[in-house]
Amino acid sequence: MPKSDLAEETKNDVEQTGPVDLLIGIAGAVNKGELLQYLQNMSAGLSTTAQSSHVVVAYPGSSELENSEAEMLAGTVGVNAPRFLQYSLPAGDPAVLPWTIASAAQKAICSLAVELGAKVCVLIHSDLAMLTPEKLRLLTSPVLEKACDLVVPMYSSRKFEGLLNHSILAPIARALYGQRVRYPLAQDLSCSARMCGKLSETDNARERSESSLLWPTTQAALNNYQVCQVNVDVQHATQTERLDLSTVLSSLVGSAYLEMETYAPYWQRVRGSHPTAVSGNTAQQIGDGEPVDAKPLIDSFLLGSHNLQEVWGLVLPPVTLLELKKLARSSPEAFRMPDDLWVRIVYDFALAHRLRTINRGHLMGALTPLYLGWVASYAQEVAALSPFAAEQRFEQLARSYEEGKPYLVSRWRWPDRFNP
Amino acid sequence: MWQQIEESLRDSMGRVFTKIATLLPGILAFVLVLLIFLIIAWLIAMLVRSVLRAVKFDERTSSTSTLSEWAPRQTPTILVTRVVFWSFVIIGVLVGVSAFEAASAESGISAYVFAYVPRVIGAAVLLFFGTIIGRFLSRSVLITSVNLNLHYARLLATGVRWLVFVLTAAMVLDHLAIGGEIVDLAFGILFGGIVLALALAVGLGSRELVSRSLEREASRPVEVPVEEKKLHHF
Repeated sequence: MPKSDLAEETKNDVEQTGPVDLLIGIAGAVNKGELLQYLQNMSAGLSTTAQSSHVVVAYPGSSELENSEAEMLAGTVGVNAPRFLQYSLPAGDPAVLPWTIASAAQKAICSLAVELGAKVCVLIHSDLAMLTPEKLRLLTSPVLEKACDLVVPMYSSRKFEGLLNHSILAPIARALYGQRVRYPLAQDLSCSARMCGKLSETDNARERSESSLLWPTTQAALNNYQVCQVNVDVQHATQTERLDLSTVLSSLVGSAYLEMETYAPYWQRVRGSHPTAVSGNTAQQIGDGEPVDAKPLIDSFLLGSHNLQEVWGLVLPPVTLLELKKLARSSPEAFRMPDDLWVRIVYDFALAHRLRTINRGHLMGALTPLYLGWVASYAQEVAALSPFAAEQRFEQLARSYEEGKPYLVSRWRWPDRFNP
Repeated sequence: MWQQIEESLRDSMGRVFTKIATLLPGILAFVLVLLIFLIIAWLIAMLVRSVLRAVKFDERTSSTSTLSEWAPRQTPTILVTRVVFWSFVIIGVLVGVSAFEAASAESGISAYVFAYVPRVIGAAVLLFFGTIIGRFLSRSVLITSVNLNLHYARLLATGVRWLVFVLTAAMVLDHLAIGGEIVDLAFGILFGGIVLALALAVGLGSRELVSRSLEREASRPVEVPVEEKKLHHF
């Protein structure tokens, strides 16, 4: 967002602010009372730990925080109090998904960081769970002390949480871009000045629609920037309530597929993956969870198998279709979707997304029963396993994605000739 | 009397044969022109297909093609080739009709046929788009119904497809001015019958579900099932 796109008030504030050491941006509309409370606590913490730092807090203009209240809050803390800037958040459309709004806010904050010349920029989820001095230190230390360009959190989760991330988003990002990042679609992150510059660049070829998401880890990989992860004991509220699964898949997985299409020349050359530096409390990140009844999920898969063979036949090769038919005939207790089958399904759908074999909305809708089949298989596999074993299960799946990458590359390059 | 019968039979047969002899050159001219234009259409369609494949027409149009999403099995090359082929066939039919008129000295036929050609083209366009829309809507309904765990998803999808096809067929026949009120009546009965069948299937199949839903709404707010709380996809 160039300076000319900023609101007049924000432009004036930027000019008056001067060079900034740390910009904390809240990526989304927040509750006014909650924001005031958090800012009071945070301000006190920041003042004692960053006496000589010039800190700016950017919050969305729709949060209805009056300037007078912000000034009063800043005035109570002291000489080196954080300064508060409003940035304009795109008008809230009920149809826009929450992570799309968050991505737009993140881009806006990164643009603001570039305008302010901020050395470090921290982007916080609108629920403000990360807005404490301790967690901010965790996010900023790698950037300031270890020259990391991008720091993303590793959230604590349970066995049956974040499944879409663990089954598709994280492993596919690892296989394609070579970085082992637990949550590539970060809801909180911190970045260096040069990383902010990359994230704020508007690429018209990429941002083809209002629903494009920001993938910071992809940008870091493309530019060979260092990525670090920090363990944080934070769980953001599930954003997918009241949304149907097809919509969620279409938005998140569709966005990942669009990134694949855009950066195909890059990821086809990447071989293997490398671990990223991890800091923070190394306590187990995967907690236990209550057992899940897999039968409804298996029923959804079977319903898809009976009714969507024609659609799946347009996307999946004969070998995969045969394996799915065998899976549909298996008993519920023995229902297991092998990793290599799931990986090939994800890759074939990525190819179909690129070739527009069928309407993209239909494509992601057709993926939904297959995803539920994977979830059912996973749920039955890890029900009796420990949380550590469940975490290893995800690692095994991620390795399968890497091993299946030659299959993806072959099909991507020769979609007609290579069709097993 | 037999003589008179024989004479009138001889006269009528003579008139028929004379008429056939008058029309025959025109018919032969029509068939000949049509055959020639069929061959020309086939040759030009092959040429167009070769040219479009050489310039990678499908790949160039795939990035922005809405048609590929609506009609995935019909590549742009195939569609363009078929349009070119049938255009030449239609031209051949028109030329053939003119040749028939000239050869048979029958006047007015060309004018009537030429006036009917725009209706035929309009009907073809209606049929084309109706087919595509029917398939697209049918697939949308099928996938959405499956994801809503509706066991009659295929029935719904088939019903929607046939609804659109029937509507399209009625519009095409109306546009061609074929059938008149009979087509309107038949369409109304068929369309209404399909809608009634779908409504009965959905209503009868889901009456227990609706009944339970109404009972829940009447008694208390809906509780989120425990299983849904345990599973988080994102």
